[in-house]
Amino acid sequence: MNQARKTLLAVLGLVAAIGLAACGGDDVGGGSNEEEVTVAESEGEASGDLNISNWPFYIDNKTVGEFEQETGLSVDYNEDVNDNSEFFGKVQPQLQQGESGGRDIMVVTDWMAKKMYDLGYLQDMDQDAIAGAKENLREDLASPEIDPERSYTLPWQTGMAGLVVNTSQASDVTSVNDLFDPQYKGQIEMLSEMRDTVPLVMKADGIDPADATTEDWLDAVEKIRGAVESGQIRKITGNDYTKDLANGDAVAVIGWSGDAVQLQADNPDIQFVMPDEGCILWSDNMVIPVGAPNPTAAYEWMNYVYEPENQAQIANYNYYLTPVQDVQPILEQQGSDAAESDLVFPDDEYTADCSTQTDPPGSAEEVAEVEQEFQSVITG
Amino acid sequence: MNGESSNPRRRRLIPYALLGPGLIWLLVFFVIPMYFMGELALRSGTLETGFGFSWEFSNFSDALSRYDENFIRSFLYAGIATLIALLIAYPLAYMIAFRAGRWKNALLFVVVAPFFTTYLIRTIAWTTILSDDSFVVETIGSLGLLGGSDRLLATPTAVIAGITYNFLPFMVLPIYASLERIDTRLIEAAKDLYSSAAQAFWRVTLPLSAPGVVAGTLLTFIPAAGDYINVIFLGSSNQSMVGNAIQSLYLSLRDYPTAAALSFMLMAVILALVVIYIRFAGSEALMGDEEEVR
Repeated sequence: MNQARKTLLAVLGLVAAIGLAACGGDDVGGGSNEEEVTVAESEGEASGDLNISNWPFYIDNKTVGEFEQETGLSVDYNEDVNDNSEFFGKVQPQLQQGESGGRDIMVVTDWMAKKMYDLGYLQDMDQDAIAGAKENLREDLASPEIDPERSYTLPWQTGMAGLVVNTSQASDVTSVNDLFDPQYKGQIEMLSEMRDTVPLVMKADGIDPADATTEDWLDAVEKIRGAVESGQIRKITGNDYTKDLANGDAVAVIGWSGDAVQLQADNPDIQFVMPDEGCILWSDNMVIPVGAPNPTAAYEWMNYVYEPENQAQIANYNYYLTPVQDVQPILEQQGSDAAESDLVFPDDEYTADCSTQTDPPGSAEEVAEVEQEFQSVITG
Repeated sequence: MNGESSNPRRRRLIPYALLGPGLIWLLVFFVIPMYFMGELALRSGTLETGFGFSWEFSNFSDALSRYDENFIRSFLYAGIATLIALLIAYPLAYMIAFRAGRWKNALLFVVVAPFFTTYLIRTIAWTTILSDDSFVVETIGSLGLLGGSDRLLATPTAVIAGITYNFLPFMVLPIYASLERIDTRLIEAAKDLYSSAAQAFWRVTLPLSAPGVVAGTLLTFIPAAGDYINVIFLGSSNQSMVGNAIQSLYLSLRDYPTAAALSFMLMAVILALVVIYIRFAGSEALMGDEEEVR
């Protein structure tokens, strides 16, 4: 047998092997629930690399470098989460194989954290290793419904979904219902994050998301659909709405509190407006995926960002609600405007009418139906 | 001694060895994924319970009834964009091939230059150029060309324009290539035989450039029909195409079987249209019948 033929056969054999290996993976989807949830154990001194996936505009440009200097760890900080659903769609195939794609920490919103946990894609945290961080956790965040003992989540930031308005062009927008006013036709946008947008529309119609039915959700989705089809709503987007507000293509949107502050740098007229009927309070969490290569370093990071001084620096940049106690006095001392901001330190009165973000009610099929209807509004 | 003829067995194997890399590539990155996608399209279930194989042919009818409008829009927008691209590209390619003289290479460079920036960035740049308060939109509006509306973004016009712009070089280059190799003596001969310039164009130049036109339309239409980027940035929900539906099914709804079924149908429809088109346009046009040119 000559050389060329041998090589050809070897390559064909390799291809066949790849093909067969691929055929072996017969399962698509399905949780690995049968197995116990593992605890990501902390092992001595943290060293090596730390890989974090977070949302954009969520950290100042100094914290990562200072952390590296203090700990000697090397951080790969990626801003690759733009939308919970899409991020999940991207990482799910890896997580299902028990791999995290190199990630040690991911930041996802409450409902997504729970969904991932229920599918067996997350690990419990080593409670001893984050005991320090948890001491600094805001009391009202200590036992959320999705994770009563904070065994697998630790908040990164919490925040509000409400109205972001260009007050020079739409000063009378104070309720989500005003977004349906024909005078703003084509200049309104809403978030593709269903659990923010739909409950806000419901609240404006006097329905409390906490005891809304599947019908209520579907009715609100239909109301949004009507406004999209008539051209009242220009777009349903993720973080992109910030660009359209800055360009002047949108004058009033459903958006996130911290974004409004970042936009003010260019245009002081852009403001976060608390809707008359209240906002949606959400919480984004650090979680440790299955297969995370370096949980010890992950805990080091969690403890670091939960130090009030370090947290103050982050809060001063992103203007979301900080989950860490005792940050306000530090910011006051530094003379930061953030210390005075309703967005970073809202008093109880400011958020009195707000609702905590929830899933649609009912069985998995009913939730899926609401999601499908909402997506069908987006895809036309 | 002649090395080539000394080993006839080796000589017989050379064509296979040359085909090898391409075939393996096709097998690993096209045939095998196709098989898995086809199999996925016949599964049912949810991500939580797992997708089991069940010959679920209803995925196809279900996908079609849910996303029929997206299908129609895709082919409509892609068709219009291809036509506009052809109308822009042909005169341009003609000019570069026959009239540009020493500017030929510079002009070709200009046609290709946008490719030095990524597709995504180019499309996003248009959102700024075409934003409602921009100079461009205000000028077009004051000329009364916006038809009563005061914006271009989030309209079918913007999406079709974006697709046309992004795929235009794919139309220009093949047409240029086929015009460029036309033996100009044939056109001179036509004129010697008393044809007018228009007649010479219609009966000599255009038929000889047909391979480029066919290749250009296919290279434009096929990716345009599956495009979803232009809708995301330049359009809205009311313009969303089948690519957007597939993206939403895969990434947001995690309904992998329906997404796979929809992808398959998109492929099948494109294939059918291409086959009809090539039969109609003649496969010699696509392959370029060298004998005829000589």
